[in-house]
Amino acid sequence: MFIETRDLKKSYGEGGSFVQVLKGISIKINKGEMCVIQGTSGSGKSTLLNCIGGLDDIDSGNVSVAGTFVEGLKGEKLSDYRRANLGFIFQFYNLVPNLTVRENIQVCEYLTKEPLNMDELIDVLGLTEHQHKFPSQLSGGQQQRCAIARALVKNPKVLLCDEPTGALDSKTSRDILVLLEKINKQYGTTMLIVTHNNSIKNMVDHVIYLKDGEIYKDYINETKVPASELEDL
Amino acid sequence: MGWILFKRALRDLKTGFARYIALSLLIIFSLFIVISLMAAADTVIDTTEISDRELCCEDGEFSVFVPLRDEELKKITDHGVTVEKMFYADYEINENQVLRAFKVRESINKISLIEGTLPISDSEAVIERRYSEVNNVLIGDKITIGEKEFTVTGIGATPDYNTVIKKISDTVVDSRYFGLIFITPEAYDELYASGCSLASEEYYYAYLLNDVMSEDELKEILEDNTFDVDDVDDEYFKEYWNRMTERKDELLDGIDELKDGADELADGAEELRDGIDEFHEGMTDLHDAVPDLTDGIEALDEGAAELESGVKAYTSAVDQIESGASELSDGAAQLASGASELNSGAAQYGEGVNELSGTVGVMAQSEDPYIAGVAAGFVDPVTALATGYGQIQSGIAGVDSGAAALSAGAYQLYSGIKTLNSNSAALRYGAAALHAGTTELKEGAAEFAEGIDELYDGSKEIKDGSSDLAKGARELSDGVNEFSDEANDLIDEVFNIDLSNLRIFMTKADNPRIDSAADDVQINYSASIIFGILLVVLFAYVISVFIVHTIDQESAVIGALYSMGVKRRTLTLSYVAVPVIVTFISGIIGTLIAVYTPAGIPAQLQDTLGYFSMPKLDIIVKPFILIYGLAIPPVTAFIVNVLVVRNRLVRTPLSLLHNEQKAVRGKELKIKGMKFIPMFRLRQIMREIRAGLTVIFGLFMSLLIALMAINTSVYCSNVKNSYIDLTKYEYMYTYKYPTEEVPEGGYEAVAEGFKKEIYGYTFDVTVLGITKDNPFFDTGDLPDNDSDVVLSSSVANKYNLTVGDIFTLSNDKGERLYAFRVARITDYTASMFVFMDIDRCRDMFNEDDDYFNVVFSDHPLDIDGGRLYSTVSKEEIARSSGVYVEMMAPMVTTMSVASAVVFLVVMYLMVKMMIDRSAFNISLVKVFGFRNREVRKMYLDGNFYIVAIGALISIPLCKLIMDYIYPRYLVSNVGVGVTADYPPVLFAAIFAVIIVLYLAINFVLTGRIRNIKPAEVLKNRE
Repeated sequence: MFIETRDLKKSYGEGGSFVQVLKGISIKINKGEMCVIQGTSGSGKSTLLNCIGGLDDIDSGNVSVAGTFVEGLKGEKLSDYRRANLGFIFQFYNLVPNLTVRENIQVCEYLTKEPLNMDELIDVLGLTEHQHKFPSQLSGGQQQRCAIARALVKNPKVLLCDEPTGALDSKTSRDILVLLEKINKQYGTTMLIVTHNNSIKNMVDHVIYLKDGEIYKDYINETKVPASELEDL
Repeated sequence: MGWILFKRALRDLKTGFARYIALSLLIIFSLFIVISLMAAADTVIDTTEISDRELCCEDGEFSVFVPLRDEELKKITDHGVTVEKMFYADYEINENQVLRAFKVRESINKISLIEGTLPISDSEAVIERRYSEVNNVLIGDKITIGEKEFTVTGIGATPDYNTVIKKISDTVVDSRYFGLIFITPEAYDELYASGCSLASEEYYYAYLLNDVMSEDELKEILEDNTFDVDDVDDEYFKEYWNRMTERKDELLDGIDELKDGADELADGAEELRDGIDEFHEGMTDLHDAVPDLTDGIEALDEGAAELESGVKAYTSAVDQIESGASELSDGAAQLASGASELNSGAAQYGEGVNELSGTVGVMAQSEDPYIAGVAAGFVDPVTALATGYGQIQSGIAGVDSGAAALSAGAYQLYSGIKTLNSNSAALRYGAAALHAGTTELKEGAAEFAEGIDELYDGSKEIKDGSSDLAKGARELSDGVNEFSDEANDLIDEVFNIDLSNLRIFMTKADNPRIDSAADDVQINYSASIIFGILLVVLFAYVISVFIVHTIDQESAVIGALYSMGVKRRTLTLSYVAVPVIVTFISGIIGTLIAVYTPAGIPAQLQDTLGYFSMPKLDIIVKPFILIYGLAIPPVTAFIVNVLVVRNRLVRTPLSLLHNEQKAVRGKELKIKGMKFIPMFRLRQIMREIRAGLTVIFGLFMSLLIALMAINTSVYCSNVKNSYIDLTKYEYMYTYKYPTEEVPEGGYEAVAEGFKKEIYGYTFDVTVLGITKDNPFFDTGDLPDNDSDVVLSSSVANKYNLTVGDIFTLSNDKGERLYAFRVARITDYTASMFVFMDIDRCRDMFNEDDDYFNVVFSDHPLDIDGGRLYSTVSKEEIARSSGVYVEMMAPMVTTMSVASAVVFLVVMYLMVKMMIDRSAFNISLVKVFGFRNREVRKMYLDGNFYIVAIGALISIPLCKLIMDYIYPRYLVSNVGVGVTADYPPVLFAAIFAVIIVLYLAINFVLTGRIRNIKPAEVLKNRE
């Protein structure tokens, strides 16, 4: 299994403020799969993503990504793990404000010895004409495309997307999802998409629904539709 | 990636261009000053070293009463020592100006020409550079000395007059009134022969040891040199000498008396020895008799013991006798009583017998013959009975009487024995006491015997001692006799020293005229290194505050990059790039401006050239200075920022992504009863504590610079004012050859010069014995005892002395140490005086009762110039005292302005950054309806407390630091003992200036707050 968690538990706080966010999550995701993690606010979906991405410690259980056990990794090794395996896309893009689109992508290009072709990627993401602009000169969708390009340029094995369309309008959201779908097909990148948008589940292979820190539903989407056909985004 | 992030840094630099330019200008300015000072110091130090070598600067100099004879000179030069005459005479020119004339030097202390040529003809002269500059004497100008006119052909400097002071003890150079002129030997002789010199010619020689002997060895040779008084032309010297020889005779008489006394002592000691011998003999007899005495006492003790024992037996027997006598007495009494009863019975019996006899008689007479017959038969027995009774009565009466007597006797016996017994008790006690006494006597005798033994031993030692004493006294006598002979020779020698050609011997190290510029700038050099680094640290820290601000702003971006695998080291380096670039470029520019513009090193050299007489200075920039200017700023910035930035970046990616503000301090702060705005302000202060501390740090550094300037200003003006205010005499005449009588209207004093070291520099301290009626020094009653003195405040300040301290001075060779206790400190700063009573001073320094060598007066006295070493007038003191103020004024101004600029820039940048950081919140509170005035109170006015508290802490702290540094490092080479104490109003003024500067910044930034629109909330939120 490409991504696997076993009995993953995570809590925050102590005493009266103690919250068990993940209550023994076990999931399995195949390589090249597009997987959506859905759930209401506070269900633990972002926490699950962060635990898989090594951004957050886990209390107990196992997380394995591409054969690497994430729990127990610290410091430089954790950085190396992320560097070798992961690409992140955030709701608020988090681009370096005083670097151009191209330069923002270049920041991550140097993290790997075998990056994707920069120009091709920029072209794929439709950023060619914007590549020399600064983030502040771009629309939200363009910025998110830049963030995707930055995450993809190092050719990660897994792309972790935390509410990638959360800050975008419906049309732009669709464009971004189409793009992700395209990347998945073109590069075979495994994708975990955390979203509360109910429509996105229709375009992915695998749907995990969390409720109060537990898996409420975990199923393979047999009736997936192309992103371009999604409704109610 | 590194390059890409570096591009980010460059763009960040571009974004904050104005602030970085401001900081860069400060760094450039700081580096410019620091590098200029350091390079100028290097130039002066190296030039001094080079010129000392090239111009053959003396190893030392000495002066003599009469010029050395050729053979005396040869004796020195034969060893390989180079000696050259440095004779001079002082001449007055114009009004109040003194030119010291020298012959052109040949091999030592050669002239370094700044321009022109050495004199060739007798009417040509070279003028010392400082005098020529100050008095605008140029080549080709004419100078008239007496009636002789000289044309200036050159302007130069000599290493032996690096500091052109008239007297070694002078503290201030004043080239307006004193300078040097170098002329040909012929012109020199001719000029001196004209008799227009202010005083007699001074015979100084300079020497170079050439590593062939030590200073002490040379001095020893020179001390051996004698001269004939008749060779001296100076009539004042001769007069003085005659007085001294009279004193010599007195000394010789004294030695003779000492000799006689020693002889008498030896005789007395021998007599004492004889007496002690006799005493010892008696003691020996006594010692020998002691065993007999102790044996006798022991026998006595034994006898007493036996006596006591006998008396005990005796008293015991007496006790028994007493008991028997008592019983006997009792028996006798009973016997007497029995006898008495017997007697009484006998009497009754007698009466019975009588009655019977009567009855028988009557019956015998009876007519009844029977009765008469019967009775007749009884007449005889009854008669016999009566007769027997009479005998019995007689016997019983005798018995009675005897028994009574026996009883009385027995009683008497008992009484006697009782008395005897009571006496025998006393006898027993007496015998016991006697025994105890003999026992004590025995013990006492034993101690006595021991005492006698010791006494005997002591007496033996006394005997030996007295013998040694007698021997010693005799040796002393012999020694004194020898001493007398030696003393006579010594006195001759001593008077030869006074006569002695060697008047002054001074090594180069002790000469304050030589190499003083190098000493002076050494302080600049050290201070510059430290201040430069501190300023760069300050500016680097200011930059780091901006960087931290940027990091906080870009927190989520950094978190995103971390989550992609970008490492902290990479990001740290990218953030440190800006301060490193800024400081590096600023360092380069500052260094270049310092090195290559006239405002840099040449301007700093003017400070030296404006005071010291230096040879031509070629700017020297050593590699260290370039390394300092180019490397110290970026390296310091790198270290400071790495420390700060690393700390900021040590957070988890998630924490950064969520922009969790670790530094939101003060949010928990809640003071009961505090109103909203003050509470908000307090929280804002806590939130921006880093920037607040930077402001305080900047304020502290600014104050250090400012207080250095103010200390300098106060110090110089204290010199000026106190010199004038506290100098009450108009003239101080120092005698070379004192007269016997004090000039009328003058107050005599005895001055004894010493040298004392502090902080690596040696200064002249004069013990001044003054008369009680001297009106010029406010010493109060001078202490009567030998050790107490009154210090001038100059000495107290320079040597950090207070009342009760012990202050020591030693003579030239350090063989005699004088210790004084500070009884009082009096305000006097123009010279370093230690005041004492003149008579005590004379005693202390073995001078005659009427000796004096200084005279003070309030008007000019008629004293021949030839008698004097120097005349100091109050006017001269007043003139020279202002030199420091004039000299230091540009530096004081520059430093004051620099400190204000540093404070303003740091304050402005920090407060502006605080406002920028709070822009979102400010716009938010504006949305809520807060007015600009309230917003200003909440976000800006809190800084007032930071500045005010910072100033209240920093001002006294900086003053303490500066007061510690100033005398030790900044004026340690200045022979002036004034303090840089501020009047309280000055502290208030410094505080007021800080507050005014703050208010100016506040005013400017209030506009910035006004310009933050409520819409900012929308714009800044992603």
